[in-house]
Amino acid sequence: MRPIIETRGLTKTFGNNGVAVHALRGIDLTVDQGEFLALIGPSGSGKSTLMAILGCLDKPTTGSYVFDGNRVDGLSNPELARIRNQKIGFVFQLYNLLPKASVVRNVELPMLYAGVRRKERRRRALELLERVGIPEKAKSLPSALSGGQRQRVAVARALANNPAMLLADEPTGALDSKTGHEVLELFSELHRQGNTIVIVTHDLSIAALASRQVEIHDGRVASESKVA
Amino acid sequence: MFSGAFRERVRNSWVEMRENPARAGLQALGVILGVASVLGGFSISDSQRRRADELYVRLGGLDKLNVQPNPIVNDGRPTALQTANLGLRAQDATDGIDLDKEVVAGASQIKGATARVRSAYADQERRVSGIGGEFLATEGYEIAEGRPFSNEDLLYGAPVAILGTEAAKVFFPHGDALGATMRIGGVPVRVVGLFHERVFRFRKDQNNIFRWRNRIIAVPATLVTRRFEGDAYQRLDRVTFKMRDVDVIAKFSKGLSGLLTANHRLQQDFRLDDVAARMRRRRSQGDAYNLIFWLSGILSILGGGIVNVNIQMASLKERVREVGVKMAIGAPGREIFKEIMTEALLVSVVGATVGLVAGIGFSKIITGAIGIPLYMDPKSFVFAFTLALAFGFLFALYPAFKAARLSPMEALRYE
Repeated sequence: MRPIIETRGLTKTFGNNGVAVHALRGIDLTVDQGEFLALIGPSGSGKSTLMAILGCLDKPTTGSYVFDGNRVDGLSNPELARIRNQKIGFVFQLYNLLPKASVVRNVELPMLYAGVRRKERRRRALELLERVGIPEKAKSLPSALSGGQRQRVAVARALANNPAMLLADEPTGALDSKTGHEVLELFSELHRQGNTIVIVTHDLSIAALASRQVEIHDGRVASESKVA
Repeated sequence: MFSGAFRERVRNSWVEMRENPARAGLQALGVILGVASVLGGFSISDSQRRRADELYVRLGGLDKLNVQPNPIVNDGRPTALQTANLGLRAQDATDGIDLDKEVVAGASQIKGATARVRSAYADQERRVSGIGGEFLATEGYEIAEGRPFSNEDLLYGAPVAILGTEAAKVFFPHGDALGATMRIGGVPVRVVGLFHERVFRFRKDQNNIFRWRNRIIAVPATLVTRRFEGDAYQRLDRVTFKMRDVDVIAKFSKGLSGLLTANHRLQQDFRLDDVAARMRRRRSQGDAYNLIFWLSGILSILGGGIVNVNIQMASLKERVREVGVKMAIGAPGREIFKEIMTEALLVSVVGATVGLVAGIGFSKIITGAIGIPLYMDPKSFVFAFTLALAFGFLFALYPAFKAARLSPMEALRYE
């Protein structure tokens, strides 16, 4: 199967007035299409930095990163924005929805930046809300929704442009265990439908749901394990 | 410019404005106040000026050129040539008309005198106006009853008079002036006409500044020069040329000056007074007020802009996270920039429109309070609107630029 992510010797150094902080010290990672991968590690391990680079939110200091068949480590900001828009769907711990915009408009937003026509945007957004199980909340504001429902909105938004990969950063971190579990069920369901999913978490029980776990420690890949 | 993408952006900004009514409302408030005060200031000064123009129209129009005698001997004895000069005469008026019939509509002549005026009811010393030519049209008088002076009256100095309303009331309090006889100096004069009352108040409750015009006792200029005051040459106090067009006055006055100098034996014993030019000079004084209005308008729109920047700063935290989210889901920096600029322009357009309406109301109230008719120049609308848009654009540039330069990671983590 074609790899969706392929990194070689990825490093990231933050320079703070001459004091260099090495967040990543050479990550070699390959993620195949259709995989459900969990990136685990304690806080400060560099997994968030890795997630930012894998999500094209940040650029590596050195090393190569091939995403969906294209080198992306040297791309300009607008080019990275285009990749985030078209090929990556983000789900954040704190949902990161626009608080004043209705649920359906939040879901439409990535399509707005992709230049999808208005009617098509609306049609597809409603379809996605149906898919994540909250079609009746389309006109509500995010503040009127429970945490689990908000995260569903975030998942719907992440799926808006049919991305090549879903990237979730502690998606259940702010939810109680029951709703957290429901959201994870949603991810599993999406995985079964063929989506590539990368979840960043420090919770091993969540990681257990993934088909493969990669542990990051001190900016390096510490161990890998694969569930059959 | 009005491509689908632009329409989309405007629509999106409109939705975002509606989603953030407090932010948009406060931003628009500065624009509204600025535009209203610019428009109000302009309209009030335009209305004042329009009122002043009306005054001149009621005085017989701006398209006039006055010729008045000008003493050239200030000191010592006049030279023989000066003594021999004939001065300003009826001849000058007719020659002036003949100079260019294309541009001159007519000329009026005035020769005043002070005389004892008597009727059965009153006996006063009064100014008497000897008039000739197109006096009525040039000075804005209208006949209410009776008739104007005929050409024969003017030519032969017939003993006839036309009275203003005040003069008629004083000398004939019972309203039987027309056809009555009164004595001016030693001459019995028959009243052949009565003028309309003339009224002009700058503001509603002000005095009638045309009051003294109703005191007029008009007789043919030839009667004055022959029987009351004057000399063998029948000199006049003033000749006024009425022009067909304001723009030709300057050119005509050059020609007239040459003609009169020749007529007056090369003595510059007259002066030309271009009424339109005098009006322009008055107007240029009004420009100072305009400048003040401009400045105060610009300052208030500037103030509005600073309010805007403050609001942008206050909502920065919210905004930065918003920008971070938008960037994460794929909005490039220049899209963020365009979004913020579009929103700012939209706020300015909406604010300026409301401001124009507020400005109209404001001007109505002020002009109503001082009692002059409201006049609004379309140019003021355009100016106020453009100014608001320009400032709205300028003040949005910095925040928009800052937001566009954010890195998505920093923006997402911003607390």
